[in-house]
Amino acid sequence: MIVGHGIGVVRDLPIPAAYFFVGAAVVLAVSFVLLLYLWRRPVLEAHADGRELPAWLSRLVLSRAVRIVLGAFSVFLLGLTLATALFGTTVELLNFAPTFVYVIFWLGIPLLSILFGNVWSVLSPWRSLADAAVWAIERGEREARPVLEWTGRMGRYPAAAALFAFVALELAHPRPDYPRTLGIAIALYTYWALAGMAVYGRDPWTRYGEGFAVAFALLARIAPFAVRGGAVVVRWPFTGLGGADRMRGTLFFVAVLLGSTSFDGFSRSSTWQDLLGNLRAELAGSSQRTVDLATTFLNLGGLAFFVAAILATYLAAVAAAEKLGRIERSLVPDFVLPLVPIASAYLVAHYFTLFLIQGQFIITLISDPFARGWDLFGTADFAPNLAIVSPETVWYVQVAALVVGHVAGLAIAHDRAVAVFQGRRTALEAQLPMLGLMVLYTLGGMWLLTRG
Amino acid sequence: MLSRRRLVTFAAVLGLLVGGFALASCGGDDGDAAATDTTTTSESTTTETTTTETTTTETTTTETTPPPAGPTEIRIVVVNGAPKGGIVRENVKKGDRVVLIVRSDVADHVHLHGYDIKRDVAPGQPARLPFKATIPGRFEVELEDRGVPIADISVSA
Repeated sequence: MIVGHGIGVVRDLPIPAAYFFVGAAVVLAVSFVLLLYLWRRPVLEAHADGRELPAWLSRLVLSRAVRIVLGAFSVFLLGLTLATALFGTTVELLNFAPTFVYVIFWLGIPLLSILFGNVWSVLSPWRSLADAAVWAIERGEREARPVLEWTGRMGRYPAAAALFAFVALELAHPRPDYPRTLGIAIALYTYWALAGMAVYGRDPWTRYGEGFAVAFALLARIAPFAVRGGAVVVRWPFTGLGGADRMRGTLFFVAVLLGSTSFDGFSRSSTWQDLLGNLRAELAGSSQRTVDLATTFLNLGGLAFFVAAILATYLAAVAAAEKLGRIERSLVPDFVLPLVPIASAYLVAHYFTLFLIQGQFIITLISDPFARGWDLFGTADFAPNLAIVSPETVWYVQVAALVVGHVAGLAIAHDRAVAVFQGRRTALEAQLPMLGLMVLYTLGGMWLLTRG
Repeated sequence: MLSRRRLVTFAAVLGLLVGGFALASCGGDDGDAAATDTTTTSESTTTETTTTETTTTETTTTETTPPPAGPTEIRIVVVNGAPKGGIVRENVKKGDRVVLIVRSDVADHVHLHGYDIKRDVAPGQPARLPFKATIPGRFEVELEDRGVPIADISVSA
């Protein structure tokens, strides 16, 4: 087990100071040049609709057949993961479930969402199960109606709570990849997703309650593909993040996403590991349960601190922008979306190696998911290449991802600023706090990567 | 245009920020490196003077050195189920031959992640985990049953 992380056998070497300085210099230079020369009227929202793909392609991608096939496959994978977690071997790395959940699902789907749009809308096993249930009810000539009406009062807080529960399991639990623990977590989350859809309806719960669906939908707004008015459109990447997001709880959700990834980086540093080590040494005479409980609370505290720090810095920057821009109303909803590219840059920078290296294990595991000596697909003897990427490549990708995320975030914030603030001069000045915030997040993310 | 004074102030603040981060990261690195060095030397001198010499020559000299001497030894002592002096951090070069020697006052399994080597350890029966550092990255060594990390080995390219 690796404390403070779900799974992973090879960790990244810290990035050398030279990479940090070059990255930081690029970030600063680009920020100022962009600020002075960027567009003067909002452009992103106008381009978010993109251009429609050929009608036959849209029909195919959005067809009922594709939904049914992918949905059935995804429900099968959910069943397999739950079964291996509950009944398979308890050796973490020989069990299908931990690698599937923490690597293939939690890193693979965000990647697919960023590249291809909201794939989760057809891949979600919970949505598929709910769709099937509604189909069955309506076939029986009855009406499938939610129990309660979604009023929107809760905003995205239910989804943020669900996401926080998941990252707390991943980052604070002493043995997050222990198959039985994971099995219980999957069962609980399945209940959360299905019960929510039954009570509030499939669409509201997918949009505001199912944490993963909300996360993937947010990341999918980066993608060059989207569904608009029943057609698949192709558009410039990041244009989907224009405008404000006025749904309550969105800020909290994004803060959990960003805070958890940065805490994950920090929790693997020697500083945090030594802190945990000292705590364990203090409790040397106590039972394993006491030690585990103390570790969990310390990790939870760290996680909560990082989320709170993101919230506090964002709110401070927004307050400064309101003051400089002489705006009376709250601008909190206006600058949340620029944080999405930064969150996805953090994801790429922190999990690139984990995905490439640990992801290979799924090839072996799929042939023998219960570790019973099966060889279903003839890949049980596949030997993952643990040296697949050189440290230099990893550092380069990490710094590049953070710089790209920063530039995108900055441009999106700028697009919003020219819409919100009156006059060019005010718009430029009022952007400075947001610029400072993003520089802080980007350099902070890079600095975390230099920690050994 | 943006007022010059504000821009300058802002640039200064950003500069300070970068400088602060840079200092923090450099300072941390130096501190860590120094700490590891001292532990290595002190531990090796108390055990075997000959190994210290071979180890130092191997790590400091370049690849042109003729036949490589013995493997780099990394010693870890576990007291009360925790690594003595905190988690042992060592750097080795890719291609080095390394052997981990773990002495423990509790029975457990020592597991080197990534290279996936596991050996039993018990009071009076130290575990030896020899390996060739072929995979770059950072690897955790843990007491498997307790789930306690005892060392952190960096293999640099």
